Parts: sequence; C-alpha cells; structure tokens
Amino acid sequence: MASESTPVEGGDLTRRSVLKTSAALGLLAVPAIGLLSACASGGDDSGDDIETTGDAKNPFGVDPKKPLEVVIFPGGFGKDYAEKQKVVYNEGFPEAVVTINAIEDLRAELAPRFQGKTPPDILQNEGANKIPHGELVANNQYHDLQPLLDAPTLDDPNVKIKDVLYPGVVESGSFKTADGTSKFFVLKYTYSMWGLWYSQQLFDEKKWTVPTTWAELMTLCAQIKQDGVAPFTYTGVHTYYIRDMFITLACRHGGADVVKNIDNLEPDAWSHPSVLAAAEALYSLKKQGFILEGSEGLDHRQSQARWVKQDAAFIPVGGWLENEEKDILKKEFEMRLMAVPPLDGSVNPQAINAGAGEGYAVPADGKNPQGGLEWLRVMLSVKGREAFGADAGTPTVVKGAKEGLPLEEKPGLKSMVGLLESNGNFAFQAMIGDWYPQFGDGIWGPALGELMSNAKTAAEFVEACQKGADAIASDDSIEKQKR
Amino acid sequence: MKQRKGLFITSFLVLPVALYAVMVISPFLQAFYYSMTNWTGTNPDYKFVGLDNFKRLFTNELYSVYLIPALKHNAFLLIAMPVIVIALALFFAFMLNVGGRSRGSRIRGVGGSKFYKIVFFFPQVLSVTVVGVLWGAIFRSDEYGFLNSVLAIVGIGTKPSGWLSDPDIVLLLVMLVMIWSSVGFYLVYFSAAMSSIPTEIYEASMLDGASRVQTFFKVTLPLLFESVQTAWIYLGIIALDAFALVFVMTPEQGGPNHSSEVLGGVMYHYFSSSKAAVACAVGVVLFFFTLTLVMVSLRATRRERVEY
Repeated sequence: MASESTPVEGGDLTRRSVLKTSAALGLLAVPAIGLLSACASGGDDSGDDIETTGDAKNPFGVDPKKPLEVVIFPGGFGKDYAEKQKVVYNEGFPEAVVTINAIEDLRAELAPRFQGKTPPDILQNEGANKIPHGELVANNQYHDLQPLLDAPTLDDPNVKIKDVLYPGVVESGSFKTADGTSKFFVLKYTYSMWGLWYSQQLFDEKKWTVPTTWAELMTLCAQIKQDGVAPFTYTGVHTYYIRDMFITLACRHGGADVVKNIDNLEPDAWSHPSVLAAAEALYSLKKQGFILEGSEGLDHRQSQARWVKQDAAFIPVGGWLENEEKDILKKEFEMRLMAVPPLDGSVNPQAINAGAGEGYAVPADGKNPQGGLEWLRVMLSVKGREAFGADAGTPTVVKGAKEGLPLEEKPGLKSMVGLLESNGNFAFQAMIGDWYPQFGDGIWGPALGELMSNAKTAAEFVEACQKGADAIASDDSIEKQKR
Repeated sequence: MKQRKGLFITSFLVLPVALYAVMVISPFLQAFYYSMTNWTGTNPDYKFVGLDNFKRLFTNELYSVYLIPALKHNAFLLIAMPVIVIALALFFAFMLNVGGRSRGSRIRGVGGSKFYKIVFFFPQVLSVTVVGVLWGAIFRSDEYGFLNSVLAIVGIGTKPSGWLSDPDIVLLLVMLVMIWSSVGFYLVYFSAAMSSIPTEIYEASMLDGASRVQTFFKVTLPLLFESVQTAWIYLGIIALDAFALVFVMTPEQGGPNHSSEVLGGVMYHYFSSSKAAVACAVGVVLFFFTLTLVMVSLRATRRERVEY
C-alpha cells in the first residue's frame, strides 16, 4: 500500500536541488549579459556639419519650426536670465518652442542622455557635477563652434562675432582633437577675475590703507591683527580657492611664461624661482598668524560669512562673491576687489587672473544644433547681455560690454569691472587645473591646502607639484594640451 | 505532487529572483566587464584594455594616491570599528538587561534602563547625511564650532589645526561618528537576543555566586555568539562603506590630502571625472576585499550552535 503522507520537507525540493537548477539557469543568463552590455555600446554616428547661410537673420540655417531644448545650470547666476533670452530668441523664430531645463546635478541627468545620444541642444556645463569638457570633446560629443565665430552678431550684420570677444576667450574654449588640430568647442560666457575682496567700510573705520605691494600688505596685516581683526580667511575645504593667490603671485613675479610653462608641463616648470617665492609668501601667512583661526576647516559659505561679519579683512574668491552672499551683504559694506599685491622684484606687476568662465556647448548629437548655435548668438547680443548682466551681475565676454550691469547698486561689481578695464591687457589664466583634473584635484589642490595650513613647507609643496606634473607628462593615456 | 509543489514555489520566486538578478547580479557582472575597458561613462564607444585599469590603480602615482590610502583606511575601519561597536553594544545591553542589582531572584537592568534604551536608539533615526552635517557643525574648526565653543568655555581653548582639517585625527573622528550612530541599533539587537536567554541560567549562575563580570563572559557572551557573528558581518560592511560621512564631513571629500579617503569615495571620484571604467575597477577591488572578509570571518567564528 502506498503511503499517503509525503514528508513535510518535499523530497526533491531541497535547497541543493533549487541551487542546482538556478545555477543551470544562471549559465543560460551569461550570453544574456553579452546582450545587456550592448546597452552601453552601439549607436550610430551623427553630428553633421552646419552649413552657414549668408543670411544675417539666420546664419546657421535654423529650422523655424524645430523646438529647442536649453539646459541651464542654476548656480551662482540663477536661471531667470535664460527666460529673458528666450524672448529674444523667439523674436527671431516665433514658432519655435523653447524649453529651458534647470539641472543642478548635470552628471546624474545628462550622462545617460549623452550615452544614449539624446543630449539637449545647448548646454551650460558647469557646477560641481559637470561632465568634464575634455572627455566629451575627446569622444566627439561636442559640436564645433567655428560657425558661431564666423557668423555676424545679432545686432550688427557687419560685425563678426569673433571680433567682439575678449582675447583669450576662443583659446580657453578650444581643445585639441584627434587629428591634431585645435577646434573651438566651448563658449565661455562670463568674464571675471579672482582676487582679494575687502570692505572699504571696514578700512575707512579702522583707518587702514590699501596696500600696493606684498611688503605693504604684510605691514598692514600686522596692524590689522593688532586691531583685533584676522587679516585673512579662506575656504579650507575646497582647495581650488587658493589657486588664484598662488598663481597670480608667481605670474606677477616671473612673467606670463611661468604660467605657460606650468600649463605645458615643461620639466622643471615648478622649479622656477618665482614659483618658490609665491609658495613661501603663502606659507608665511599662517606662520605669522595672519589667518583666521580654523579657516582650514571652513567651507566657502562659512568663510565668506565670517568675512561679511568683518571677522577677517581679506578673502580670496572669484567674481561671484557679491551675488553669492547678497542675502547678508549690506551696501554700506562697500566691498572692493584688489589683485594680490606683487612681491618684490616682480617683472609683471599688473597681471590679473582674469578670464572667461561658465562654459556653454552645443552637443553634437542634439536634435537642433543649429538652434543651439543661434541661442549662443542671442546670448552674445545686446539684449541677451542685458538680461544676463541684470540677473547675474557679471560681465560677459563681449569686449567692453556693460549693458544691464547694475554698477551703482553693486560696489563689488563696479570695483571688478574697473580692474578688468585697467588691467585687461595683462590678463592671464592658468589652464593646468582644468586641462588635467587629476593634477588639479589630486595633487595641486591637496598640496595648496597643506601649504596654507603649514603642513608642508614651500620647498615640499614645489616638490610635490613637480612630481605630480611629471607623472601627468609621462602618462600616455592622458591627452595633452599645449598653449 | 512534488512537481506541482515545486512549480508553486518557483512561481512565487520568479519575480523576486528576476528583480534581484537584474538590479544586483547584472550590474555586478557588468562592473567586472567594464573594469576591463576604457569607458568614460558618457560615451558608447569604448575599447577593451584588459587589466590596465588595475595596473594603474596600484602603480601609477596619479591613481594610487587615491586607492592605497583608501584601502588602508577601510582596512583600519574594518579592524577597529566593529570591535568597538560590538563591545559597547554588548556592555550596554548587558547593563540594561541583566546588570542591575537583583532583588531576590528578579533579573533586571540598571536604574533608568527603559529610558536609556529609547535614547540610545535615537541616532539610528537620523539619516546619514543629517548625521554628517550635525557632526560637521560640532567639529567645525573655528570658534563657532560646538566642540570648540565648549572647550573655550571650559578654558582649554580651541584646537589650532581644527578637528576635521587635522589629517592625523580626521579618520578617527569619522569612526567616532560611525560608532555613535551604530551602537543604538546593536544595543537593541543584543537586548532582544539576551532576552531570549532563559532566566533559569542566570539564576543558576547567581546561585553559584558568579559576579556580574563572570556572568557576562561565561554565560551571556557564549550564548549570544551567533548574534555577535551577524553583527560583525553587518558592521564590517558598514566599515567598508563610510562614504557618505566622509563626503559630507571632510575637507576635499577625502580628508586633507587624502587622509580620510575611502573606497566608496574613490569610486565616486572616478565616476565624476568621466572614468567610469576605473571606478568599476575600484568596485572589483572592493568586491574581492569584501569576499575575503566574509570568508575569513565565517571560517574563524564557526562554532556549534547551542540549542536551548
């Protein structure tokens, strides 16, 4: 007689048998992985050249019905200016539907779109999570912007765009391509400078004089310290804030070639005496007790807040400071900008670390790259500049343009524009940090942080930077740029 | 009959297993594949490069300056953190359940143990980012930092090189925060395990005249061993992570000059600099690290299960 009851642990269905079956199924899945890996590969080539028509109203041959997708990074400049620029774009192409997307985490939202070849038509690629321009250029994912340079401006058909831009703008947006030629891919839109910001109100109140040389600055700092204020504070947590002081001191002392050699990864570029002099000057700040205690652990909002509270006299920041702290800054503060004063024996004492920033690009695989180029043309027009200047309070890269800039309400902006005008011919920029982020973030940044906190001496700093630069130079997998 | 039963069970398993395979197993396998290419993360065209990424991570200074400190730091956290958390959690659980003065034959915890159990669990309720921001404010390096203010009131004064900006102690401070936020959970976990130990055993040991210390080491700990083993694995996994705290709290997201770099942070760094293939390679390194940990700890703590 057959037993009716089956054991509770169903005979065949033991753990072992389930595992065996799934292992068998798993083996079947392996070829499926091959299919899945196709998810990241494939895709056809696109990105056709844009034919420039002779038409001053529509030099890129924009299809008037095609929609346009604009991606803005809503950082220090906000995003309202883009809405006003959209109005100008629609004046030329009233049927086009323009969508403006403000995206903070560009990498998270756009990396998959670049991967899948469905990027936006025009993109402001900035912010902490931007996608490095160099990578997208190296993989042919940006459109060549030469047609933009050759096109007439929106306002005056007799003037070409390339003639109205500041010198160095095209160079700083150009990258070397696979065939060895250098092409223009990124339009950097803002023109701004780094420097030491201070409060004229505080200086008037304490009867301090603005220094013109490094020696005068050191004497002033001693006096500031006696008056109960910390001479300097800085953002310790993000070490790129120190780059300007260091590179301006070096450039002013030894000339623009010092910076050029560093950018070109020349052997012994960091052994130049001006580099060591700049490092020693920065080292001496903490040594003499001129730095607000605790600065090396402060982030940018914290250090800037201390400076607005007038707990510190000078802070090294870029041109966005006034906008970033506008909620706590009062007009009576009278903020002013000065470039770091030159060391003794400087051959180039008027150099300023000024240049174009905020990169905009037209992805090669966008649906409406012609519209993207037209958007850039709109941005560079008078009305476009007005819209940006009024909201962002930063000059654009069009020479001498001041439209829309609220110079009377913003003393810091007025001070900066004045410096850009007076020292504009001596403007320089160091590209090494942008060209080689592995050096900028991995070697130079930490070394600068340690120099300021006196964990490294000036000689150790120079040695660490030289070693890092040599490592980049000898690494063949890194694409090298030259200037 | 058996076939039907098998089919029945499988039909329930299909969906979760498929989900697991697609969401967990497949990315793992893909990471192994991509770690041997030069994929940037934003471009569908990439080449197979073999073990180049691994070679570079360990030997090229530009890469090893991130990876080697990260390996060391995660190893340190792995060795130190679980031990401290488990020790503290066991101690507190013991004190709050068994360690009180016993009246007659009742086993109870120290006075106020109900209150402590609730309060010690609070850190678990906070999300890790909030914990990071909170402790960042406590350790803030200027006179507005909470710790510095307290020290100033007491008269010791602020620490000159800051707390989180001091490369020698930043990792220890991160570990301190990890301990603070984990002890509560394991306290509750061990409490639950302890309450399943029959009180007769404790009564017997009390009758034999065992002190609290002897009771703990000779009675409680051996009976809790399986729970300790599980807690160790969980804490080991947390120690191999630590990314969120390092990212939020430390300067340069990795400590002054890589002195608080962790493997998760290194992966994030390479994903953000368009080197997704290198990030996958770091992931593979982490995988083998974890695998070794699990194998070693399961082998070393293998014991017979005690039935009661």
